Amino acid sequence: MPLFGELFLSEIIKRPVFDPKGEIIGRVKDVIIVKGDPFPKIAVILVERKNEVYAIRWEEINLFNKRIISTYLTVTLLQKYTPSKDDLLAVRDILDKQIVDANGAKVVRANDIKLEGYDGDAVLIAVDVGMRGILRRLGVERGSEEFLRLFQAQLPYNLIGWNYIQPLKPELKEIALTVPRQMVSELHPADIAEIISQVSRDEGAHLFRDLDIETAAEALSELKPEMQADILNAMDAEKAADIIEEMPPDDAADVLSDLPTEKAKEILEHIEKEEAEDIQELLGHEEDTAGGLMTNEFIAYPPDITVQEAIEKFKKDAEEIETVYYIYVIDEKERLVGVTSLRELLLAEPSARLAEIMVTKLKTVVPGADEMVVAEIISKYNLVALPVVDSEGVLLGIVTIDDIIDTLLPPAAKRKRRKV
Amino acid sequence: MNFWKRSVAFLSVIGPGILAANIGNDGSGITTYSVSGARFGYHILWTMIPTTICLIVIQNMIARLGIVTGKGLSALIRENYGVKVTFFLLLGLFIANIGTSVANFAGLAASAEIIGINKYLLLPVIAIAVWLLVTKGTYVIIERILLGACFIYIGYVIAAFMARPDWTQAIRGTLIPTIKWDYEFIALSIAIIGTTITPWMQFYLQSSIADKGIKIKDLSATKADVVIGSLTTDTISFFIMLTCAATLYVHNIRIENASEAAIALKPLAGEYASLFFAISLGNASLLGAIVVPLTTAYVICEGMGWESGLNKTFKEAPQFLGIYTIIIALAGFVVLIPKAPLIFLMVLASFINGLLLPFILLYAISMANNRQIMGNYAISKGYSYYIAWSTVIVIICLTVFLVVTTIIPIT
Repeated sequence: MPLFGELFLSEIIKRPVFDPKGEIIGRVKDVIIVKGDPFPKIAVILVERKNEVYAIRWEEINLFNKRIISTYLTVTLLQKYTPSKDDLLAVRDILDKQIVDANGAKVVRANDIKLEGYDGDAVLIAVDVGMRGILRRLGVERGSEEFLRLFQAQLPYNLIGWNYIQPLKPELKEIALTVPRQMVSELHPADIAEIISQVSRDEGAHLFRDLDIETAAEALSELKPEMQADILNAMDAEKAADIIEEMPPDDAADVLSDLPTEKAKEILEHIEKEEAEDIQELLGHEEDTAGGLMTNEFIAYPPDITVQEAIEKFKKDAEEIETVYYIYVIDEKERLVGVTSLRELLLAEPSARLAEIMVTKLKTVVPGADEMVVAEIISKYNLVALPVVDSEGVLLGIVTIDDIIDTLLPPAAKRKRRKV
Repeated sequence: MNFWKRSVAFLSVIGPGILAANIGNDGSGITTYSVSGARFGYHILWTMIPTTICLIVIQNMIARLGIVTGKGLSALIRENYGVKVTFFLLLGLFIANIGTSVANFAGLAASAEIIGINKYLLLPVIAIAVWLLVTKGTYVIIERILLGACFIYIGYVIAAFMARPDWTQAIRGTLIPTIKWDYEFIALSIAIIGTTITPWMQFYLQSSIADKGIKIKDLSATKADVVIGSLTTDTISFFIMLTCAATLYVHNIRIENASEAAIALKPLAGEYASLFFAISLGNASLLGAIVVPLTTAYVICEGMGWESGLNKTFKEAPQFLGIYTIIIALAGFVVLIPKAPLIFLMVLASFINGLLLPFILLYAISMANNRQIMGNYAISKGYSYYIAWSTVIVIICLTVFLVVTTIIPIT
């Protein structure tokens, strides 16, 4: 059992490896990691000797700790290392690279790696992403601890368990674990979008490809337009259309309006006809107006039906629609005549007609209304959604509160990323 | 693609090169150019040509790194050379940029005095305004201000014409290299190269290219961007040197810094020339005062793996906002101390920049040649390989020479 207890990768890099006679056989250059149960483990230690790299298998290691690393092999028995594309090396591929902290939903840099002895193996247990890791690599961890002790302060540990880590390099994702693992794809789409916006373009595109269609659709709408265009341009129009179909029409219209026209047209052709029509309608409006913000997916029923019938219809319609808190009431010409809320509907007498329970004094705006005016009305009357009607009172769509908040306070992923 | 589509595509890609190069013309740069022009007149004009060529080659390499990897220079160095190397480079950058910021605030103070505003009033106001602009403003506003400010650089060209230089001498001085083998000439020539190719500018260029997400197919457009940027900035530098050559050198006036240049211009080229010079100096210094601390904070956080971002609070990104605030506060404060050794600090900054540049260039060119990092886009055999390496070696030799000769007089 070579490793007892724990140690950090930085503590063994460049350390000498001794042969049975006590002579230095080389210095540790890197380690090869393989799938393990439950965490990845070290399979091979790469040793550098006189500018050549040799591979010592874990079984050939005698002692492995901070003070001494030794092997059963002698110089003559050393095998040269033949690099293979599938090899995953700790120093080359994980150390100093960006990784995703799926627990905190952000991107961090691996400053050091923690190893622990488990069942005869050296297992990768955590990644050090904090200041301590940096100080340790610089060789001043102890010194800094002493220094801080003068001020009664502590140097905190900032370790992230390997099961919460997702490396960005695509090959590394193959190191599967048997422990259930929090993957990026299970995070909230808004968090995924934030992570994608923090890494390089290629890495972001890779992360995106792993997502299932619904998550991809939600994450896509949270990204900034350039990233959206990049990702969609790289896929074929059919796949892009599948994702965009999953989005509510206002988000879909936003995404398509930021794409180059031919690509947008191509994607629209692959989208199911009804959806495509909805999206086209929205594309016709100016960006910063009520028409540009609204979605044309909403729940609207005629005034004569009963509450009971309305609830039955609702159960079928509500599956596809984003905002269902308000049920609008429209006449045969699709003009808005009243509104009721889901709560009212559920509390009302089943035999009552919608016309009896609906509210007729409605706040509305026209499609051309400026986004700030919309925001003021929604804020003043505490609405969850504001209906948009044309000059004849026909209900065209609704502006929902999440879109207005985005206008007033764009989320970080969407705001133009930095800087000077 | 037809002409219009190509122009639009081109316009959407350019920016980083032009902005990076022109922002390099900050307070300390202008000081170097003014002093050289005044000291050696038309004889030093030719140095701008090889300097421009070096600048274009280096920036093209940096741009290539940014486009292919999609990452900033600081992150790349961290990922390929480890945290120790990165730490020391960034430490050097931090100290050098405090010095550069001092130069910028000094430039602001000086131009304020020439225009007639009390520096004790102006500097705190500007320092706070800059700090607020960056912490509360948005990127779009800042970019617009910077691009607008770039136009004011024309003031130098105007000042140059108002100085009525001897054009035949000027052209001869530009095209025919003359080397005076005295220490000051060589030192100033090297300083000219050093101030035109500053380390932080390379970090800035690569980061803004990576951020913009420029793709490989736009490599030629970016090359054009870099060339245009380098040409514009070096033309401006040229005119600064020309202005001082035509007036101060001809009349044998020695100056120590850019503000003295502006003042000395008045009797020789008229009040307006002096005014243009002073305003342009203030503008360049303001630009530098905004950009340098910000870039430094970003670059350091990128390399060390700390949170950064203009929209973050102090709790979320303490190191980023901390670094930025320290640089501005320190620089602004130092400049206001009467009899502060400003020249010494600026020389120290140039010195540290001179130390950093060879390392940064070596790392950059090694990474640019590395197939593992760059894939098929590595600069391998072919004339760009040799040009890049020769440029780097030449610059390294010159900067080592400058550093050594700066130390010798002290020891």
